[in-house]
Amino acid sequence: MNKIIVILIMCQSLFTKAQDNLLSMLVSEDKPIYISSTFKGKKVVNGQSVEVLSKGVLQFQIQHRFGTLNSGFYNLFGLDNSQIRLGFDYGIKDWMSVGIGRSSELKTIDASAKIRLKRQSKGSKEFPFTIATNSAIFIKQYRWSETNEEAFEMSNQLSFSHQLLIARKINRDLSVQLSPTLVHYNLVNYAEKNDRISLGFGARQKLTNRISVNAEYFMQINGKINNDVLSFGFDIETGGHVFQLHLSNSPAMIESSFIHETKGDWEQGDIYFGFNISRVFTIKENK
Amino acid sequence: MMRQIISIFLFLICFYANAQQYLAKDGTITFFSKAPVEDISAINNKVSAVYDAKTKALVFQLNITDFIFPKSLMQTHFNENYLESDIYPKSTFVGKVTENKNGKAKVKGELTIHGVTNEIITEGKLQIINDNVIISSEFVVKLKEYKIKIPRIVMYNIAEEIEVKVNIEFKKQ
Repeated sequence: MNKIIVILIMCQSLFTKAQDNLLSMLVSEDKPIYISSTFKGKKVVNGQSVEVLSKGVLQFQIQHRFGTLNSGFYNLFGLDNSQIRLGFDYGIKDWMSVGIGRSSELKTIDASAKIRLKRQSKGSKEFPFTIATNSAIFIKQYRWSETNEEAFEMSNQLSFSHQLLIARKINRDLSVQLSPTLVHYNLVNYAEKNDRISLGFGARQKLTNRISVNAEYFMQINGKINNDVLSFGFDIETGGHVFQLHLSNSPAMIESSFIHETKGDWEQGDIYFGFNISRVFTIKENK
Repeated sequence: MMRQIISIFLFLICFYANAQQYLAKDGTITFFSKAPVEDISAINNKVSAVYDAKTKALVFQLNITDFIFPKSLMQTHFNENYLESDIYPKSTFVGKVTENKNGKAKVKGELTIHGVTNEIITEGKLQIINDNVIISSEFVVKLKEYKIKIPRIVMYNIAEEIEVKVNIEFKKQ
């Protein structure tokens, strides 16, 4: 008899609840919730972030790096010297984007592909990190006359970088990233190594919904000849544009150069100011 | 034996009580923002809803992240900057059909967007065809009332008043 009463009460409560609050009937399916916008842009400062462009989106980047701040008023604290990199990136899939770019001072063309392997998620399926890979090839340009030289080999102009990018959005403002990196140079000096490994650290702290500060450091693990690069960035997002202001001890904008060929020293004031402007264009719209 | 019969009987009562309810899982809600610089629209095809023909109660619920925009970046900004879907993942409506004459209906209820609840009264259509109930309505949502802030720099891109269209087809439970 007791059981019947219990069942009766249960039914009763279900019945009344359904009347009171139909919302309880709408228990939504338990889907994993993917964490998005770990970083604002495809780059933390100079190095790649785990972000990829969405499918059908083209991004055009104009990157400027001026001279060092300690070069005095004669150089207007570096503003007299500037180098640029122009770059295009395109999202082939929602998880894959490719890009090309060219750096003026280094006379280097770079091509890269980034693939997002796994996304940070919570809910029914939890995964703590977003993981991506980025691979790039760098071709140092040459004059046709150089190709006639006896020692010239096309392969000597090439270098490569491979990165594993592991990031976690800790809360809605703070994201951190670890980027183990391998850079391979086809041609090096006697004292240098062809394969060089480094470990990158990146972080982003949002100040407001549209402004964030970023920091990045690459620690060279083997074959260290030059300084480690330390950079700070300031991202301002306005609709389709992202403005990024940077301070770094490297003027370079490509992995093969800023990780292992950084000559500047923060303590000496060899700080390069720079900025990026990026604009996205939606080539293919979602349906 | 007696117990089982009674419990089955009670079970049936529960079902019977629900028999006047209509359920939808793939309702459509679209919104449209008309501003000097650009028109923005988005569609959500995964609205779930319940209508109780007996009590005239009407509720619906949607996930903010299910809104699809033509431009991916808009979708990112919509979730990240405006609706803050990480904090407020859902939007709900809980209300009642207060009047229904020849398919023209008035609805009154509480609409929750961005964690803010406001009372709304709107008109629409409500048709009962066989075992299906079809509702449709259009109303305006003011962003200010739901504490959705538009920065000055995109003031000409996003309208302050958003037109919302609801189209839901319910099936008998």
